[in-house]
Amino acid sequence: MKTFLLLVLTVLFPVLSEAHKVNVYAFREGETIKGECYFADGSPCKRAKIELYDRKGRKLDEALTDEKGLFSFRTQEEGRLKIIASAGPGHRAQYELETLEKIEEHPQTITNKALEERLQGLENEIRDLRKRMDRLTFRDIIGGIGYIFGLWGVINLLLRRKNAS
Amino acid sequence: MHISEGVLSGSVLLGGTLLSAGGIGLGLRQIKPADLPKVAILSSGFFVASLIHIPVGPTSAHLLLNGLIGLILGFKAFPAIFVALLFQALLFQFGGLITLGVNTFNMATPAVLSHYLFRKLLKRESKTSVFLGGALGGGLSVLGGALLTCFALLETEKRFWAVAISFFTMHLPLAFLEALITGYILTYLKQVKPEVLE
Repeated sequence: MKTFLLLVLTVLFPVLSEAHKVNVYAFREGETIKGECYFADGSPCKRAKIELYDRKGRKLDEALTDEKGLFSFRTQEEGRLKIIASAGPGHRAQYELETLEKIEEHPQTITNKALEERLQGLENEIRDLRKRMDRLTFRDIIGGIGYIFGLWGVINLLLRRKNAS
Repeated sequence: MHISEGVLSGSVLLGGTLLSAGGIGLGLRQIKPADLPKVAILSSGFFVASLIHIPVGPTSAHLLLNGLIGLILGFKAFPAIFVALLFQALLFQFGGLITLGVNTFNMATPAVLSHYLFRKLLKRESKTSVFLGGALGGGLSVLGGALLTCFALLETEKRFWAVAISFFTMHLPLAFLEALITGYILTYLKQVKPEVLE
């Protein structure tokens, strides 16, 4: 059994890479919605179909992601919005955008512009962090194997108890 | 090959769940305490295998190894695969909890069938027939899994045939690769631990 375990580990581990789970993330700036679609390892979903829905489930718009997995929409809608990404058969992800807060136009326009420029860097950083959060780590995998053994251990215990009685 | 939540119709979900529950019940009945380490290791093997991706043309497919698990475990593959898929759904959001039944059925059914088709080959002494049995079981289990996944999407996918054909051809090279891997692992097991294949 030990050799078998070793074999499984050596065959399986070196090539660990991408995983198929699709993630989508978006944020809005006024009328524009920008977002990104990527797989669990952080690689972009190219040419994935992105659909934009309003609160009532009506489809507002639809777009394809570019080579970097980026997409953008323009919309006047202010309520909650839902974004659904589909990449290939059976692969689907969704993200909900919060309600847009109305910004008073005149006195703040200039400050807003300046702020926007400053926030650009921060936004990129948040996007990177989010990506890293969705990414699979080695820890997750080892942990998962642990859980599986644990669960089978419990089943073992139950079976033994049943056999003993 | 994990179907996410929100893609399947209710009847497919219900059918998959019921069929899987039956398979899991049958499998659990067959498990003796002595089998458990084997089941647990193969279960975690399946869990890890799905994380390994092989580039196929523009997209990628991941290893399944459902054939290996089915050939060794028979009906016990149902609970083994179910547990692995459960944790993939919980920890990585691969697939989903609602589609768990359908995914388990899609992966385990061809694997269990291979077990009953090829077990005679695996019991033979000659290395070639063990390799052949493993390769056929491994390859056909992948293709069977791809086929069942396509059928599960039949009701909800509008461009069904186009999607199904591309999905199926994408899995041909994977099936070939898994045939080699499964054949190799089984011939190795036959040498070092033949009782696993009894």
